[in-house]
Amino acid sequence: MLIQVSWRNIWRSRTRSLVVLTAITLGIMAGVFSTAFMKGMMDKRVETAIHTELSHIQIHDSLFRKTAELRYYMPGADVLARKIDTLPHVEGVTQRIIVQSMISSAETGAGVKIMGIRPDDEKKVTDIAQQMVEGKYFEGIKRNPVVIGQKLAHKLNVRVRSKVVITLQDMDNNLTAGAFRVAGIYKTSNTAYDESNVFVRYEDLARLTDLPAGACHEIAIRVDNDLNTVSVQQRIKKTTGSLEVMSWKEISPELSYITVVMDQYMYIFILIILLALLFGIINTMLMVILERHKEIGMLLAIGMSRTRIFLMIIIETVLLSLTGGITGIILGTLISKYFEYHYINLSMFGKGLEQLGFSSLVNTSIDPEMVVSVTIMVIFTGIIAAIYPALKAIKYDPAEALRIE
Amino acid sequence: MNITVIAWRNIWRNKRRTLITTASIFFGVIFAAVMSSMQEGSYSKMIDNVVKFYSGYLQIHQEDYWENKTINNTFVLTDTLLQKVHQSKEIIGISPRLESFALASSDQLTKGAVVIGIDPERENKITNTEKWIVRGRYIHHGDKGVIMGNELAGYLHLDVGDTLVLLGMGYHGVNAAGKYSITGIFKNPLPQFNKSFVYMDLNLAQDLYSAPNRITSLVLMVKDHYHMPPAKKALKSFIRSPYRLMSWDEMEPELVQMIASDRMGGKFMKAILYIVIAFGILGTVIMMFSERKRELGVMVSIGMQKTLLAGILFMETFYIGLLGVTTGILATIPITTWFYHHPIRIAGEAAKAFLDMGIEPVFAFSLMPPVFYNQALTVFILIIIITIYPVVKTFRLDISNALRT
Repeated sequence: MLIQVSWRNIWRSRTRSLVVLTAITLGIMAGVFSTAFMKGMMDKRVETAIHTELSHIQIHDSLFRKTAELRYYMPGADVLARKIDTLPHVEGVTQRIIVQSMISSAETGAGVKIMGIRPDDEKKVTDIAQQMVEGKYFEGIKRNPVVIGQKLAHKLNVRVRSKVVITLQDMDNNLTAGAFRVAGIYKTSNTAYDESNVFVRYEDLARLTDLPAGACHEIAIRVDNDLNTVSVQQRIKKTTGSLEVMSWKEISPELSYITVVMDQYMYIFILIILLALLFGIINTMLMVILERHKEIGMLLAIGMSRTRIFLMIIIETVLLSLTGGITGIILGTLISKYFEYHYINLSMFGKGLEQLGFSSLVNTSIDPEMVVSVTIMVIFTGIIAAIYPALKAIKYDPAEALRIE
Repeated sequence: MNITVIAWRNIWRNKRRTLITTASIFFGVIFAAVMSSMQEGSYSKMIDNVVKFYSGYLQIHQEDYWENKTINNTFVLTDTLLQKVHQSKEIIGISPRLESFALASSDQLTKGAVVIGIDPERENKITNTEKWIVRGRYIHHGDKGVIMGNELAGYLHLDVGDTLVLLGMGYHGVNAAGKYSITGIFKNPLPQFNKSFVYMDLNLAQDLYSAPNRITSLVLMVKDHYHMPPAKKALKSFIRSPYRLMSWDEMEPELVQMIASDRMGGKFMKAILYIVIAFGILGTVIMMFSERKRELGVMVSIGMQKTLLAGILFMETFYIGLLGVTTGILATIPITTWFYHHPIRIAGEAAKAFLDMGIEPVFAFSLMPPVFYNQALTVFILIIIITIYPVVKTFRLDISNALRT
């Protein structure tokens, strides 16, 4: 019954209530949208990192990542790779020879990471084959094809079919070089990646480096769903002995860290908005009890307990805040749902965003958990705002209140 | 009748309400000002890190060099060019460089590196490279040794005193090859420089690349990035074909966009905050108006001009805004000044995430005046918009109804 009375009380002063409600709605709407926006950006970054750069799981010789030396290869890697391919939840396994070295064109050179891969396997693990902007993914060039990123292509001033030279140190530490032709140029939403990663065929690089057959430096695995990553990783660990088996979170903890931080950052933003709203709500409710001084005095005189008066004020404030809050959440969710399917185009900041690895096309992403948290925060804001006015209300002396003309 | 005094007294008629409204503005101003200070401070630091260590504020190249960064697009530094440069008084330092690419090798390992031939003394005045030396010592004019980034040295397993082999392509296709002793190792806050840079005396570099007297760029320094535009303007008229003058924002568009996108995000957040606060002020103004309806009706009916009345109401709102802004800025100044002298250093996982993006893990603060007066400006504009309500209502005031309240 108290709730009905409180609700009707809110609308006794329509303009004033509408002002506060609009403020809460706008603030919460903006908060929900911003959170969905940031989450969308972060989710995409992680997705790109996993599907294009890191994959879910990587296996190396235990010394390879620290030293990056050619001699720390995994012998018999192809046997291991084929065994892993049969495991449940594994969508693709690829083996890579990795060399840090130089690629040069007629104009200039650049330091890059060169990966010798088997295109058919690699396609099942990364999506670079779908991000070609020129040429094809290892088709069209018969001898020594190479696939490079667009930023690198610009730097070297080369196009498809251009000749480049890859210079590297082989297994015996001799400097050797090979001529390659650009078969295709790719572009991901991470220009730093595009600039430093080059792909050639496994056989061609094995020949240049003199690596023994069946060996490689890195096995990369794609899992059907990120939730299965850890279980697949555990299964693999049982059969790999001293090899290092890492999930993407272990290889790049900063990546999952950014996501967590952004989440916290957004909650703080919403808290700050609620804090700003707090002042407005307190002022409004103070005005409310002042207006109803006589009324409250009368209620007290006819026997309404002070506790109930206190509760009445609190419920009224919480109802006010909730109405605004829920409207804000609904509107914010609707807008975010729209942008879940339509991109927000930030290409004017494209270069800057892509340098950090963020795509310039953003989709928003709503988390039901977030909606619940925001609602709870709004309720708490209402309660905290109500305390001061409610305390004042119950201190009213009924005899004095009734005496006012 | 002094409307300023009357308006001032009016706002204190309900002390509590005025104080709460002022508090909301106070809070909003502090938050927005501290956030702006942190943003601008961080941007300046990001720009400084890249500009002071690498690009300089302005550079002069051979006109084709930027699109085609090959050793063949070098030029000779002539006295006439130097004279033209000194025409602008904003230029406080210059440093010639010969920059190119090479394969850096130790016994076991090879990596791509950027070789920069410098005039050690002049370069140090601009980039302070000497202070980043962690082992060994900085090079001097005539030195036959090199200094390199700590991550590059680490990768190649080299230290001070070891030999570094450099292989590249020189001027007009001549092979470039040389062996150098490592004189020193440096560690800059930004990892991208530590991973690939090798510095040597300019003459040594010109020898290596068979490019006697030639340089790729002339780096020009001014006091800070606010002084760059006038310098650029002054020089633009003198520097023509076959030379080209570029400013840091043209050379580092990614950085410019990163900053622009972050600034825009910040503007959005501050906008939401101020809108919420504005509604709070509006609520107070509505309350102030409606409770004085009778009083205003009386004043108008005994002959007060409505314009004068509107003026008083405007001043009241203005005072509340003024109070909030003044107290807010006064409170912000000690906070930002403290952090200006003691920037917040980030550590751990967070630091790694920053470094991953090529940004120094520190929150610097700015004390530039716009950080503060922008808040005052915003609040003032909001006040003017909010005043529309009481002013319109005053002019529409129906005296007979008002008197009957």
